[in-house]
Amino acid sequence: MTEAIVADGLSRTFVTGPRRRRTTHDAVRKVSFTVERGERLAFIGPNGAGKSTSIKMLTGILHPTDGSALVLGLEPWTRRRQLAQQIGVLFGQRSQLWTELAPRASFRLLGSIFGLSDERVTARVGELGQVLEASELFDQPVRTLSLGQRMRCELTAAMLHEPELLFLDEPTIGLDLLGKEVFRTLLVRLNADLGTTVFLTSHDVADIEHVAERAIVVNHGSIIYDAPVTAMRRDLLAVKRVEVHFALDPLDGGASGSALDALGTSISSGVGVKATVSESGALQLDVDTLLRPIGEVIDTVLRAAPAPVADLSVVDPPLEQVIGEIYRRPAPESA
Amino acid sequence: MSDLAPNSQGTVSAPRPRSEPRPRPTSAPASRRRNQSQAARTARRAATISARRLIASPSALVTVGAFYLMVSSVLAGLWSTAAEAQGGSIVGYSSAALVWYIVTSEGAINAVPLRLIETIGTDIGSGTIETEMLRPQSVVGLRIAGEIGSAVLRLGVCVVVGTGFALIVAGPPPVLGAALLALPALLLAVIANIVAHHAFAAGAFWLRDAKSAWFLYQKLVFVLGGMLLPLEVLPRPVELVAKALPFAAVSYAPARLASGHLEPEWLLVQIGWLAVLGVVATLLFRAGERRLIRGGS
Repeated sequence: MTEAIVADGLSRTFVTGPRRRRTTHDAVRKVSFTVERGERLAFIGPNGAGKSTSIKMLTGILHPTDGSALVLGLEPWTRRRQLAQQIGVLFGQRSQLWTELAPRASFRLLGSIFGLSDERVTARVGELGQVLEASELFDQPVRTLSLGQRMRCELTAAMLHEPELLFLDEPTIGLDLLGKEVFRTLLVRLNADLGTTVFLTSHDVADIEHVAERAIVVNHGSIIYDAPVTAMRRDLLAVKRVEVHFALDPLDGGASGSALDALGTSISSGVGVKATVSESGALQLDVDTLLRPIGEVIDTVLRAAPAPVADLSVVDPPLEQVIGEIYRRPAPESA
Repeated sequence: MSDLAPNSQGTVSAPRPRSEPRPRPTSAPASRRRNQSQAARTARRAATISARRLIASPSALVTVGAFYLMVSSVLAGLWSTAAEAQGGSIVGYSSAALVWYIVTSEGAINAVPLRLIETIGTDIGSGTIETEMLRPQSVVGLRIAGEIGSAVLRLGVCVVVGTGFALIVAGPPPVLGAALLALPALLLAVIANIVAHHAFAAGAFWLRDAKSAWFLYQKLVFVLGGMLLPLEVLPRPVELVAKALPFAAVSYAPARLASGHLEPEWLLVQIGWLAVLGVVATLLFRAGERRLIRGGS
């Protein structure tokens, strides 16, 4: 069997409220997809889209109201403990480690829970410490670690029993930019070096681009997009936002503001760029990188800047914008 | 997707073969024996980890000892004064026996975190328990094992502090043999108390909260468990009912022995209640987990 996950019409409805005033909420609606062994999949969507509910069903801690699923050949909600032996789960906002102790002590207990011998735990911790560049963190009390360092230890804990499939629920939440970058690189390395299938939920568009080979976008409980990341990059992530802050003189009677407007108009006159000036006085350029190289746009801005550049950033479009784009475009070919 | 995937350096490597193959299916009894021994090893480790966590925060142990000494000294003082006012004894307990009774009953209860039911309930209501359900071993079993580890350490502090206090205030225990039997009875009391906490807290699977269960349990142990007073002080019918309930096993039983009553049958009563409470807690957690899986949090 080559599929790690097969979900077919998976649905989950929650019923809330007192008996006479019961309301139902469809958290997940007829979701169907497969994940191949060794694949890196991003399962993304805004808050409340049904990502965590889907993970709960696929890991066996929530029964669906309809549909079926096989994870590593097992029905998750009826074979939960057997499945637990073969999957790793990391929740970004819940810890598996004991804060007062060094991670190594937690690893020994977790290893025992998963039936590993002490020798195997030692060897495995050494191996993961190297892959995740975290060996030096394993002997410090967890409470003294930064969030990024703690997440590397959490990842070690989740991978300790050699799971074939790793579920990560919003693992980069709360991490700073550098921490996110390091964590994404480590996930790719885990997949490449150990062959672990990665199922990642996130509402951060950058997580998809840097970690996944394929992305499924969910909104209001339904899959609205399922395609390789290369296609997604071409279809939906081609537009990057360049935001430039200038050191303008606030007492020049609006001359700098006018110069900024003129610069925006001049740049937008070319193809693939839409310019706006924000209320804070920053020049925002939405650049379609398929039509115009981003470096060229930045060069133009720097050359024609009406004042010294105080700050410059290039960011992915927010998820809401990506979802809006999906609804506006014709449905892409599924992977 | 191919088994070969580019690694972070852009080269290609095959997935590393697993050096320790997963255990092959064996016969049912052998598999059961292996699982039991594995569970026992994990329970021991959970208890050790929990004790180490407590040692890592020594101020918590100092607080337990100080609080226990304060409460015990106040209650022992009250009961001694009352006994002396009654001509030297109350319902067969001398002033010295009452001091030994109180330090033992308080020690049994103080060894377990006072708000444990509430903490477990919060973990159930907040969904923390779901993380533990993703492990291949019993959620309640691991939790109980962990709590026993730290409780034994707290009990050690209470025994040292309580024995010292009682020796100074009341002299040696009234009957040494009975006092020695109180030591295993204390251990059984603490374990039964932890298991009972989990059984009561399991209500949170249905009620989403265990604050009311905690309030009820605490009051039942205070009075019907004999923590504040020897059960013989209660009206006769209430005394008989209280002695037949599990709460007596978590406080009254070791205190009765420590206060000079050589009644080893209380150890058997404790073991019996421990078994019953263990089954109840396991069944309630199993049902609660099933409810969580069906209904969601």
